Amino acid sequence: MTQPDAAGALAGLRVLDLSGPLGNYCGKLFAELGADVVLVEPSGGTALRHQPPFAGDRPGPERSLPYLYNNTSKRSLRLDLDHPEGQQVLRELAAGADLVIETDSPGRMAARGLGHEQLSEDNPRLVTTSITPFGQTGPYAHHEASDLVCLAMGGLLYLGGYVDGPPVQAGQQQAYAAGNLFGAVASMLALTAAEATGQGQHVDVSVQESVVMGLENAAQFQDLEGRVRRRTGGRQWRAGAGVFPCADGYVYLLAGGIGGNRFWPNLVAWLDSEAVPRVDEFRGEQWGEREFVEAEENRDLFAEIFLPFAASRTKAELYRDAQKWRVPLCPVSKPSDILESAQLRHRDYFVSVEGPDGGAAVMPGAPYALSETPWRLKGRAPRLGEHTVEVLHELGCSAERVAELRTAGVI
Amino acid sequence: MGRLPLSGVRIADFTWVGAGSYTTKMLADHGADVIKIESSAKVDGIRLSAPFKDGVKGINRSGYFADRNTSKRSITIDLRTAEGRELARRIVAASDVVANNFTPGTMAKFGLGYDDVREINPRAVYLAMSMSGDSGPERDFLGYGLTIGALVGIHHLSGLPDREPAGTGTNYPDHIPNPCHSAFAVLAALRHARRTGRGQYLDIAQTEPTIAVLGAAFLEATVNGRDPQPLGNAHLRYAPHGVYRCAGEDRWIAIAVTDDRLWPALRAVLGLPEESCPAEWATEAARHRDREVLDGLIAAATADRDADDLFTRLQAAGVPAGVVQDAADVVERDPHLRARGHWVRLEHPEMGETLYNAPPFQLTGTPATLTRPAPMLGQHTREICHEVLGLDDAEIARLRAEGVLA
Repeated sequence: MTQPDAAGALAGLRVLDLSGPLGNYCGKLFAELGADVVLVEPSGGTALRHQPPFAGDRPGPERSLPYLYNNTSKRSLRLDLDHPEGQQVLRELAAGADLVIETDSPGRMAARGLGHEQLSEDNPRLVTTSITPFGQTGPYAHHEASDLVCLAMGGLLYLGGYVDGPPVQAGQQQAYAAGNLFGAVASMLALTAAEATGQGQHVDVSVQESVVMGLENAAQFQDLEGRVRRRTGGRQWRAGAGVFPCADGYVYLLAGGIGGNRFWPNLVAWLDSEAVPRVDEFRGEQWGEREFVEAEENRDLFAEIFLPFAASRTKAELYRDAQKWRVPLCPVSKPSDILESAQLRHRDYFVSVEGPDGGAAVMPGAPYALSETPWRLKGRAPRLGEHTVEVLHELGCSAERVAELRTAGVI
Repeated sequence: MGRLPLSGVRIADFTWVGAGSYTTKMLADHGADVIKIESSAKVDGIRLSAPFKDGVKGINRSGYFADRNTSKRSITIDLRTAEGRELARRIVAASDVVANNFTPGTMAKFGLGYDDVREINPRAVYLAMSMSGDSGPERDFLGYGLTIGALVGIHHLSGLPDREPAGTGTNYPDHIPNPCHSAFAVLAALRHARRTGRGQYLDIAQTEPTIAVLGAAFLEATVNGRDPQPLGNAHLRYAPHGVYRCAGEDRWIAIAVTDDRLWPALRAVLGLPEESCPAEWATEAARHRDREVLDGLIAAATADRDADDLFTRLQAAGVPAGVVQDAADVVERDPHLRARGHWVRLEHPEMGETLYNAPPFQLTGTPATLTRPAPMLGQHTREICHEVLGLDDAEIARLRAEGVLA
């Protein structure tokens, strides 16, 4: 094996992250594979700094936990983009950049003279990625949205929640996560083209459409079978498929697997080995048929036999034993369970930075292991404007110009 | 049509089911030549997953499979035969990326583990997407998006605080966190390979990317010392923030007041009487404190309203709001998705004209086109044998007869 290249797969790429909740994670992905990412913040700080929860529940621009997670490994430049001098500095920075990530409403950047066409005049290889709720074009392009609204309009919200209640959102801002993630892929595709041809482009990412990608097969059910998929929470949706309570919480069992009922015999063998009463009722070809396993009486029968067994075991025990028998069952984990996972500890998954009050802030680390160009945490999220002078000096600004920018309130 | 970003990149694609196939779809839709290596004996389970064209089950009729496999070609090879494994190695030798999402060790059994592939093709980017990664006490565990979603916390964090967790209602990790992180890592590794001539091994557990999009929840636990709970439809700061019933069967509207200035606008559109809205609700903190009362008032005001009309009025007043669209809304009625060309209809040899997702982003300089519908099982066996393996028709006929190309 050759020595891993510590500079990272994206070494040499210069990224300006002008975004907030819709783009900060995208920027983080670039930073931790080796790109130089500068977070360009308005004077009050990037929007995520004002999002709860906060460390110790005390609001403050250096205390937002979403901010602290999504902006590790970046540098911070405080720059007023509504000031002509600030706009000029950004144009100079963009002239040497590979990627700009921005999430303003469509047209806002262009109105400041900072749209993709303007920024790429002096830098044709520049990629500008705009991540917005509905994209740059179309009748809803200027509509107002939040994470919840994007989940609703993308159709994923309708699938969440309980059969007997309202739709319920996916936790932890998953519409924005989707926009960030597809934004990162789209940016890399455009950068791949730019490195090959010298030609950059404007990338238009719609959060709504990113959410639509998560509908699984709901769109195809509508198209092919004329059936509208509905929410299934709180209900065993197929015999042996769904959430089941156990001694200390819940497990998710998918006895059949996907397509057919491959793992059903394993489940029966497992329960048999545990001398579960009435397990023989689970034998027979009928348990492999969609109509049979979807029928209410058979779902009830499953619960009658399985629940007493599950109630006598913890989620960790059920997970361990089910996997021994090759049955797709997992615990319904809480974050504290996941922090204790022996598997993740073995893989050194969690990383630690200094928290705002001095203690350790432990957070998820590498989402992927690259053998030659490992993911690398370069440091905690920056304080507001922490690298302003450093970045301006690299740009070639004299001490005098920096002082002028400061006096004018631009930085 | 201009050159696509991944024109000239070839992918030997051993992935199946959800996350793996969705990863390579993104690459195929942007120009990569993705060769899906399949087996007739052990068919990709998703080919047998509903929905099916006209509700009739068949290996070439699943919409679930089809949407994950646009722009790819399919060859069937029986990897249990020595000749089959040799053919696979030759495809690998001619590829830039080799992708799989089997449990660890499966590819090595076929002589296609990373150590084998590096010998054959040191430039190859090798993507392995097992459930738990290729090391550790749980390396051999198995799971699907739904069970993995439970394992990694998203299931627990989605639902009402006083009920059993509800989850997202989907195999969530398969569709967004896993394929996106994987595609990003592959594209980064391809850049490294172009610059250095060296491939590498990407070990992507199907757990770790989803945990990575829940980062703030873990900081809640480690910095604030408490397990975050599901919030229902609430937000930690904004109020009102929720889903409210409208007129009609299972119709709902999502509303989020993200700024104090929007509160009077919402009140006006809903016609909330002044006497039921205390003046202190002008501030976010007071609204958030009283959010349950507020939710009740709003629900009463929306109950007889038409969701689409209310959506239009709220948006006109600048209030973030959206209809909770079901699949029929999204596919057939949403004028915005139509205007953006999100849905593409392609003619499939057995399914006829069927629906596919275009990418959720537009590369304005190198726009993607879905070059073909999902392949039939083994549809391109002959053409791949000619083009990539240099076999003649007689040889192909022999390999078919002997069950190697099956």
